[in-house]
Amino acid sequence: MEISNLPISPSIRSKLLSKGYTSLSSLSSISPSFLAQELSVKLEEAVEVLRAVSDTTTSKSAHIPYGIIPGAVTAWDMLSEEQMQRHISTGCEDLDAILGGGIHCKEVTEVGGVPGIGKTQLGIQLAVNVQIPVEYGGLGGKAVYIDTEGSFMAERAYQIAEGCIYDILDKFPSNSREFLSCKERLQVNNFLAGIFYFRICSYTEQIAVINYLENFLTEHGDVKLVIIDSVTFHFRQDFDDLAQRTRVLGGLSLRLMKLSKMFNLAVVLLNQVTTKFTDGSFQLTLALGDSWSHSCTNRIILHWNGNERCAYIEKSPSVPSASAPYLVTGKGIRGINSNFKRARIM
Amino acid sequence: MLFSTVAPASTSTSTSRDADSIPQHHPARDQFAPIPIPLRSLLPHSKLSLGCPILSRLLSGGLPVGTLTEISGESATGKSQLCLQLLLSSLLPPCLGGLAASSLLILPSLLPFSSLLKRLSRLPSPLHPSPLDHIFVASAHSPDHLMMLLYQADRLFHKSPSLMPPLRLIVVDSIAAIFRSEFDNNFGDLKARTGMFFRVAAKLKEQASRFGAVAVVTNQVVDVMGPEMAGDVGNNHHMGPALLSSGRMVAPAMGLSWANCVNTRIFLSRNDEMAAVGVNGEDMAACTRRSMEVVFAPHVPRSSCEFVIRKDGVFGLDIERQ
Repeated sequence: MEISNLPISPSIRSKLLSKGYTSLSSLSSISPSFLAQELSVKLEEAVEVLRAVSDTTTSKSAHIPYGIIPGAVTAWDMLSEEQMQRHISTGCEDLDAILGGGIHCKEVTEVGGVPGIGKTQLGIQLAVNVQIPVEYGGLGGKAVYIDTEGSFMAERAYQIAEGCIYDILDKFPSNSREFLSCKERLQVNNFLAGIFYFRICSYTEQIAVINYLENFLTEHGDVKLVIIDSVTFHFRQDFDDLAQRTRVLGGLSLRLMKLSKMFNLAVVLLNQVTTKFTDGSFQLTLALGDSWSHSCTNRIILHWNGNERCAYIEKSPSVPSASAPYLVTGKGIRGINSNFKRARIM
Repeated sequence: MLFSTVAPASTSTSTSRDADSIPQHHPARDQFAPIPIPLRSLLPHSKLSLGCPILSRLLSGGLPVGTLTEISGESATGKSQLCLQLLLSSLLPPCLGGLAASSLLILPSLLPFSSLLKRLSRLPSPLHPSPLDHIFVASAHSPDHLMMLLYQADRLFHKSPSLMPPLRLIVVDSIAAIFRSEFDNNFGDLKARTGMFFRVAAKLKEQASRFGAVAVVTNQVVDVMGPEMAGDVGNNHHMGPALLSSGRMVAPAMGLSWANCVNTRIFLSRNDEMAAVGVNGEDMAACTRRSMEVVFAPHVPRSSCEFVIRKDGVFGLDIERQ
C-alpha cells in the first residue's frame, strides 16, 4: 500500500489507514482543515501529511538525484510537465493561438491597456473559462478575483457565464453519456459560486490580501487562477518615497510568482497605461515604472487599431511576439470569426 | 507622507450591499482574514435611474452603485441639468429607480447660488414634499479642499434612516474646474496633480463601495488633433473611436491618467444641423441634435441615444418615433 511508504509518523499512518485512506490518490484533493478534523490531529500535522503526499507523487522514479540538491527536477521532467499543462482559454481563438493555447499556469501574466479596451472584460472571461470542466477542455478550477477599482459587475459575470455555457453546449454533442454527468455542473450559479471575489479599497488592503492568499489557496486547493484588477490603481497616489513603492511592488510580484509556482495556478495582473517621453515623443507604456516591467513573466498589451481591438504579446518566454484582434460581445471576449448569431458587438 | 486610509486596518473587505447598513467588522481571528463576497449577494446590482426611462435603458437601468461615473461634454450640453436630475432621482425609493437617500453636490464656487436654487426648485418632484431638505451643497476651491469635504461627508453616510435619509449620492460639478486653478505646468506639479486624481477617485470609489452609494463627476472637453499628428500626446487617437461635438474632435479633459480613474464615462455632445432647406436653397431652420454616448462602462456596451433638454428635465428620444 502506498500510504505505508510515506515519510510520516506511525501514529498518523495508522490513523489514515483506519479512516480508510489507503492510496495516495484518495488524499489528493482534501483540504488540510478537513483532514485535521478527520484524523483529530493538529492543522500543521495535516499540512505535513499532504506535503509528504505531494512530494511523493511528483518524484516519479527512484533515480532522481535528490541527494545532490533537494527539490531538483530534471529538465526532461519539467518539459513533459509543461507539455501536459492545460491553458486557460481567453474566449478568442486567435488570441489563444498566439498565446500557445491560452494563459499559462505557473506563470504571472500582465495585461495592460487604455481605459475601455476590455481589460476587466478579459479578466471576467478568464475567471469564467477557468471553470470549464476538464471533460470540455478546460481546467475545472476556481478563480480568485481581487477588485481594486470597482469595475467588476456581478451581472456582467452572469452574462459572460451564460454565454460560455451556451457556447459549450453548442460545440459539444449533448447526448453522449460521459457528458451528461458534468452537464449538471454547467449552471450559471455554479460558475458564479466558483469566483472568490474580494473588493480592495486601499494599497494596505491590497498588500494584506496578497499576504493572506497563501492561507486561502491552501484551504481552497481547486483555485487555478488569481486575477488582480488592477494592480496599479492604489499605487499611483503620489507616494513620496518612490524607492519604497518599488520595493513594495517588487515584494508583491515575488510573492505572486511564488504562489503561482507553489499552487500550480495562473496569476493575471491587469495594469493601466501612462505616457512616457522616449525618443523625442510621447509613447504609451504600462504604468508602475521600468522596474515593475521585469516582474512579470508574460506581457500582453490591449490596444486600439483604428476602430478594432487588438491584443499584442509584448513579452513571453515561450511564444514569439504577435498580434491578434478580438471583440467584446454580449457573451464575453470572442474572436472576429466567431458565430455572430446572438452577439452584440461593443 | 504616505496616503493612509480613513478606515482602520482591521476592516475586512466583506461589505454588505444593502444601502442602509453600515459594513460589519469581521470578528478578529489571529490574523487579518478577508472574506470573499459571494457574487449571488451582489445580484441584482442596484442602480440610480437617470430620471428618464430611455436614458436609463442606455445604461441598463442607470448608474451602478459602488462606481464612479464621469459625464463629460462641451459647455451647454446639459451636464449640470442632468446632475440636478440625478440629485432628485436619488430621493426616490429603490422600486422607482432611486436610492431613498440624500445627496451632496460639490461645486467650484457657490456664486451662481440663486440661479442654482431656482433651477432645483423648478424641477418636478411629485413624490417628495421637500426635496431641497435632502440636497446638500458645498463648494471646493481646490483639490485638497475637495478631499477635506469628502472626509467630512463620511459622517453623513453613516446617518440612520430614521433621522434623515443617509447620503448615497455625491456629485462633483465640475472636477476639471476644481483642478484647474491649483497646479502649474511644470513636471513636478503634473506628477502631484496625477497623484491627486487617484486620491480623489480612490476616496469617492471607497465611499461608493462601502456605503452602496453612487459617485458622479462632470468634466469638460479639450480639442484634439487628427491622427496625422502621431506621437503627440495631445491627440487621443489611442483611446479608440473619436468623439465629436459641434463638428470638432474632442476628448474629455484631464488626460489619460484621469481616464484610468473612472469606471463609467458618458459623453454628451451637441451638433447644430440644418433641419430644412428653403425654396431658394437658403437654410430655413437650424436644430440642435443632442446625443448621449456611453464611451465605456463595466456593464453595457458602447452605445448612444439622442436626447432633448426641456424645462422639466433631460429626456431621451426613442429612435423609432423620429
